[in-house]
Amino acid sequence: MTFGQDSLYILRGTWNQLPEAPEVLRLNASADWSEQNHVFEREADIASNLVIVNEDTTSHVWALLMGEIEGITIEPGDTAVVDLPALPMGTYRLGLIDGEGSGLGAQSMLQVGLQSGGDPALFHWNLCDWEAQQMTSWSSGSEPDPNAAYVPNYFSINEQTYPTTLEDPNALISVALGDTCWIAVANHGQMDHVLHFHGFHVEVLTSNLQPTRIGWSKDTVPIKKGEGMTLQLVANQAGIYPVHDHNLIAVTNAGFYPGGMLTQIIVDP
Amino acid sequence: MSTVKHIFHILVLSSAAWLAPSLYAQQQPPQLFSGMEGYTFLPGGTPVPIWGYGWVADGFITLPAPLLTYTQGESVQLNFTNPSPESHTIHLHGLDVDQANDGVPGTSFSVTTGDDATYSFDADYPGTFLYHCHVTTTLHLTMGMYGMVLVTRPDFTLYEGGPTYAEDVPLLFSDLEVATNLDPVGSYPFHDIRPDVFMINGESGSQLEAPGRIVHFEPGQPLALRLGSMAYSRVVCQFPPELNATCYMSDGRPLPTLFEPNALEIYPGERFTVLIDPEPGWDGSLPCEFWSMVDETLESTENIHIRDAALTIEEPQFIGVKGYPNPTREHITWDDARQIEVWNAYGKPVADLRFEQGVLDVSGWPIGTYVARIDGRRSVRFVVIE
Ligand SMILES: [Cu+2]
Ligand SMILES: [Cu+2]
Repeated sequence: MTFGQDSLYILRGTWNQLPEAPEVLRLNASADWSEQNHVFEREADIASNLVIVNEDTTSHVWALLMGEIEGITIEPGDTAVVDLPALPMGTYRLGLIDGEGSGLGAQSMLQVGLQSGGDPALFHWNLCDWEAQQMTSWSSGSEPDPNAAYVPNYFSINEQTYPTTLEDPNALISVALGDTCWIAVANHGQMDHVLHFHGFHVEVLTSNLQPTRIGWSKDTVPIKKGEGMTLQLVANQAGIYPVHDHNLIAVTNAGFYPGGMLTQIIVDP
Repeated sequence: MSTVKHIFHILVLSSAAWLAPSLYAQQQPPQLFSGMEGYTFLPGGTPVPIWGYGWVADGFITLPAPLLTYTQGESVQLNFTNPSPESHTIHLHGLDVDQANDGVPGTSFSVTTGDDATYSFDADYPGTFLYHCHVTTTLHLTMGMYGMVLVTRPDFTLYEGGPTYAEDVPLLFSDLEVATNLDPVGSYPFHDIRPDVFMINGESGSQLEAPGRIVHFEPGQPLALRLGSMAYSRVVCQFPPELNATCYMSDGRPLPTLFEPNALEIYPGERFTVLIDPEPGWDGSLPCEFWSMVDETLESTENIHIRDAALTIEEPQFIGVKGYPNPTREHITWDDARQIEVWNAYGKPVADLRFEQGVLDVSGWPIGTYVARIDGRRSVRFVVIE
């Protein structure tokens, strides 16, 4: 295992997934732009570090989003090496905590102790809600009006909105009948989301904000704002089954159904 | 426990006149139909249009839809017919049915206008479930196309090896935005739906204080509160300690560890089964808060009234409150009724009523379902036939 060696690049680019093609910020694994935030992995219970390169034109504040670790300010063009503590197995959040950095979506997931040679198969869902107007404000250098009502009009899984969620091999769960898989879920949005699984109950393996729900078997799973959660799915029937936010305003793109936070589980017989 | 009323008998109008001639000829098996011309009434009496489901034998749709009850282990054949002008489905939320019966257009089947369908599934797990339409779900759900499903055990245990209880109390939370229901065609964009009516079993505010809505208990006879949400809001039930509440199940599965709920959060689509065994003589309410999912503001608090059955003095009953004969061709009578208001199937008040000494003259009225309010406080449904 070579965990702890990778770097994180703060990049600015265009999110062509949305018709507005807003300018956004992302955490990428290299200096090459990707519309999707990179998901980072670490072994359980081992401290490590992470190299962060700010390729953006403004300064940003980076943090492991656990409420304990102070943000680290990184100036444009600077590189910082940050320590990651030893963490128990689970799904965590990391990213930029300055207004522009979080408002433009530079937030991702840290998977700790979940990769174990592909068995069980691991999928991930970075959930987020977006208001096009807020993104336009941030990218034009002005803070959105804090008194304006938040009216999110896009909802994403791994920075994809349905139907393109089905083209992302992590957002689409494709498994064989009888397989067990894990799904790492993080909510980076400004509101809670609640995922409903058609066809299956899932078991909550880890949760940072709802630890009392660990071990519960659920078909409808709230993922609170700021939450990292790990779910286990046993694919005990074949077929194609939707998974979607059951706050149904979130299964839309710019107000049109179906869209947004909607993907599928495909179980091959 | 005969005093416990299932509080699902919410009056809703439907223009199901097409069904009226065969209303009482309809035989088993029961069949659900979908309709797009119903009404629910706000506490002030204002009608709000709804879409929904009802029993074919009843001929009207309700908000919420009829409670479906099955016994654990049953192989269910749920018959459905859609006479309405748009396609609908039934998604059996939480019952983990197979793809063919999942009620999702595209991966399952749609039931188009004039079509019949049967949904087949096994009720393997006891618990609290939901059903709703999955066509343009954001809209069809907020219009009212949802109901609760209970899978129970004949021995009144919650699950194998679980606690026994005396009675099921289905409590379905939901909400709607009046402007959307008044103009569903003009309701885009869907992401700005912000509910402004917050309901428990389709009712809110003073409606929940009506005698028939109060949940009565007898000390030592636990009630199973079947809490489920089809709301767009996050519901938080604030359990008073006197209810002695214990949460046993969520989403149709026993919990690995029981807990005593204080503020029980119920997100859209979630269900909880909570047993209560309140203190003897308790008469109070279980406040249920509706919080916006978007900006975390408290939108409304609706109260479930719970009372020791020993405290309830018999209400003076209207004799023949249902009215007779019903269905009727020419007259319908409510003994001792002094004053009456009537709405037709489209929620429009019927003017110039011929009403004297409890007798309403309906000769010449269009066939169909009507709702009458007797002496300003009791609503009843009646049907005019050919
Ligand atoms: Cu429908
Ligand atoms: Cu559902």
